[in-house]
Amino acid sequence: MKIKQQVPRNALVWIIVSLFALVAPHAGRLPIWVLAVYVIAVVWRLQVHRGLWSFPGRWVKVAMTVSSFVGIYVSYGTLVGLEPTVALLLTAFALKFIELSQRKDAYVLLFLGYFICITEFLFSQDLLITLYSMLTVLLVTTALVALHQPGQNRFNRGTLKVAGVMLLQAMPLMTVLFLVFPRFGPLWTVPLKTHAAKTGMSDFMKPGDVATLSQSADVAFRVKFDGAIPAKSDLYWRGLVFSRLEQDVWSGLGYYDVPPNEQRQNEVVVEGTPLRYTVIIEPTQQNWLYGLHYARARSAGIMASSDYRLVSPAPVETEYMYRVNSWGDVAVEQELSEWRRNTETKLPPQGNPQTRQLALDLHAAAASDEGFVDSVLSFFTSESYVYTLRPGRLAGSDSIDQFMFQSRRGFCEHFASSFVFMMRSAGVPARVVAGYQGGEINPLNKTVIVHQFDAHAWAEVWLDNKGWVRVDPTNAVSPMRIEMGLEEAMASEGSFLAAVPLSPLRYRSIPLLNQLRLRYDALTYRWQSWVIGFNSERQFDLLHSLFGEISARVFATLLFGSWALVLIPVAISLFMRRDTRPVNRLDKHYRIFCDRMALLGLVRAPGETPGQFLSRAQEALPAFADKLKLITGLYSELAYAGERNEAALAKFTGTVNQFKPDRRRGVVVNDSVTL
Amino acid sequence: MASVQPSAERQNQKLNENPSIRERLRSSFNRWVKRRIPPAREVTLDQRRIFIFPSRTGFFFGCCLLVMLIAAINFENNLSYALTFLLATLFIVAILHTYANLSGLTIRAVRAQAAFPGQQSEFVVMIERGKRRDHYALYLKWPSSSEALVNLVDVDSVKVPLHMPVDKRGWFHPERLLLESTYPLGLLRCWTWVDLDLRALVYPRPLSSAELPGLATDTPDGASAMVPGNDDFFGFRDYRKGDSLRQVHWKGLARGHDMQTKQYTAYADRSVWLDWELFPGLGVEQRLSHLCYWVLAFDERREEYGLRLPGVTINPAVGEKHREQILKELALFGTGGSTR
Repeated sequence: MKIKQQVPRNALVWIIVSLFALVAPHAGRLPIWVLAVYVIAVVWRLQVHRGLWSFPGRWVKVAMTVSSFVGIYVSYGTLVGLEPTVALLLTAFALKFIELSQRKDAYVLLFLGYFICITEFLFSQDLLITLYSMLTVLLVTTALVALHQPGQNRFNRGTLKVAGVMLLQAMPLMTVLFLVFPRFGPLWTVPLKTHAAKTGMSDFMKPGDVATLSQSADVAFRVKFDGAIPAKSDLYWRGLVFSRLEQDVWSGLGYYDVPPNEQRQNEVVVEGTPLRYTVIIEPTQQNWLYGLHYARARSAGIMASSDYRLVSPAPVETEYMYRVNSWGDVAVEQELSEWRRNTETKLPPQGNPQTRQLALDLHAAAASDEGFVDSVLSFFTSESYVYTLRPGRLAGSDSIDQFMFQSRRGFCEHFASSFVFMMRSAGVPARVVAGYQGGEINPLNKTVIVHQFDAHAWAEVWLDNKGWVRVDPTNAVSPMRIEMGLEEAMASEGSFLAAVPLSPLRYRSIPLLNQLRLRYDALTYRWQSWVIGFNSERQFDLLHSLFGEISARVFATLLFGSWALVLIPVAISLFMRRDTRPVNRLDKHYRIFCDRMALLGLVRAPGETPGQFLSRAQEALPAFADKLKLITGLYSELAYAGERNEAALAKFTGTVNQFKPDRRRGVVVNDSVTL
Repeated sequence: MASVQPSAERQNQKLNENPSIRERLRSSFNRWVKRRIPPAREVTLDQRRIFIFPSRTGFFFGCCLLVMLIAAINFENNLSYALTFLLATLFIVAILHTYANLSGLTIRAVRAQAAFPGQQSEFVVMIERGKRRDHYALYLKWPSSSEALVNLVDVDSVKVPLHMPVDKRGWFHPERLLLESTYPLGLLRCWTWVDLDLRALVYPRPLSSAELPGLATDTPDGASAMVPGNDDFFGFRDYRKGDSLRQVHWKGLARGHDMQTKQYTAYADRSVWLDWELFPGLGVEQRLSHLCYWVLAFDERREEYGLRLPGVTINPAVGEKHREQILKELALFGTGGSTR
């Protein structure tokens, strides 16, 4: 093997370190056997290194490749999609490592490593993941540097420093490129995530679903208002509208359930200044987005559904930022179409007879639909219903009857569902709305953090001349939930986040921890809005605010100017190193002496001793034989003297300084001027 | 920094079918390199002498970056953009680092060992750093020599021996020495060719002949001539430079006398003239080869021998220096090369 192709041991160590660092963040998404392949690969390669095993033969390699394809297919049920592709890539990475023998194999491996860093970003662009990925990039780069340090067999931290310095030098230029590189849409459709768990609200609701979701302390989305933050009790984040009840399950209308002439949203006349805000939603793998009533998206590419919701055309797979305008007091759909009225009053033909009867009685007693709504709400208030995260299971048919007349314990979905059931029983159009209510205000950056435990279900009732009106039966039972939040509402029960004892949200009462948590959340928001949410709009705004009209000249100046600004200092730091000339006075002055001799054409050869040089110089310059002998003699004496002799050293340096050759005349002039 | 594709071998491959163009390109390229990096005993590398161009790995890396960029565009993923740009600028920054790895180095010719045809001659060069920075993975090679990969870490200079087969009698000039490095990332290849003005002496190929025809002797058989040897102790004389340390009279030195060398005599049976005319009817190279063989034979037997070539006469003597001198005459005979 050519010496250039050898892989130093130091590099092998760094490659193994980066191998595990690269696979670690993916580990949770991978089948366990892929991780086993990593362990086997490293053990195998180390045994090869120790000379105990040999590299896999061709047929072994073919067998391993085929079986990894089969394994991925068996584990995922498909080879298409992002997860199987990444798993395949990671398996190939481990297998390639086994046969790493030459430098060119290492290049393939390490460049693949960089690509694996990128695939991690397709799953999460979280701040911590980013910091971690920076570490892995550093490790891969270190391995690349170590590959070019032959003979460095000890694990060497200097390598890490070289890689770190280079990456730091690359950072500013990367920032410039990041800011100015034009953002355009996808060139072709890409494999989507097929195996990621959907999070947050789902598109149907059974009793108990929202209560389960409320056990999670994850962040659903963050909102930043342009102006003041509205009262918490007004923050009803609409996400889904459930218009259909079948076998105790509420579900939304599918695209084809809506007749074509009903699919467009009715014209809504808005007036007054809207509430302007920006939402950054965490990945949900779902299409719906959240907004306050009546929401109109300011960002391009968001659709509005016929039930006044915001819908993204593609599932939200990564953190996604959108801007919304909301008008709180605008009436929507004042004219209800025949189809819509039928849909929003439809109930299963049978079941829950007691509740139906109660609804009819209350409706008969009320003067209007509005009065009927009020009397149902006061029924909830007066009849000692309990708002609880532990409602218990409602078994069998007639679950609404069970809840209304027996258990009387429920979470928001029980109240919303019974309320809508009663409305519809009396022929009043009504529907269940699901989303989030409230949120935590981060005082540091004035964002509203909406967690999964803020999940909520409420109702909308259609009233003459008013259109759809929001009614929250939970508010009638537990006003604390709406005004303060779930934690306060559940204070006596102690069930808030009972399933996640370690969530920092449970320790909000400890000021230091809470401060840290909020600070990190503010950082996350900033990260999401500036880095992850950086798109062509933001890019244009930023460049426009910095440079005014953007022309090719500005662009080129910016690019080259910044590059020069960074590369010139880098070049200076590289080339302006200290001279290797000795620093002690003795050697320095002997060097000066040699330099002056060199001007006369007498160059001291490498390896020539001062004595040899002297005899050669004396032959060439007999007139100065004494002077030369004096200098050389003093030098040898001082160089081999055990202790420092300041007086002799001063004499030596003085003599050297006085020894000034004249280049033009080719003679040495002796003047008394000392340097 | 020039961005030419300079390897002569690569040009060979490309232009094999048209030798005239190949030759012309090659010679004009060589002229250009010669102007740029003239032959010298020592060369300090600066921007006139260092070439830099992305290596094959660098082009491969560029392709990988392109794939990453497409991934970033297609997934509209800002962090993927960021990583792609980070790696792209790392490539740019690496230009400076790779260049700095060669810049400021001084390459000196140290020595070239004389050799017989078919043997490997050892060429020693020294690499010296000018600034206090580490240089890694400096790859050195003459077109036909062995290769070496050296680091300059924590030392200011390093001597590198390279071995090269030699074949023709006379002075052997290796072509230009290639010094290249792809440190630190392997993405860029930075190199230079230096003509170190270093030459190795190639002796004639020794060719045995059964016996030396018509021995020409100066002294009668059996006559004793004092020749320095180590058979019998003979006396003392003052130490001269070059005397073997084994023959120094250490005991005397220890007693405070001047340094003296013990002298021994060897009885030389005869002193031989190795004469050009001993091999009539043979060609120049054959004569030289036979003479060379006998030089080695007599030297091994530590017998006195002299050399007579047309225009050259070296009186009989024995010893390493003598042998070198004679072999040099033989090596350079008729080549126009100076023996001095």
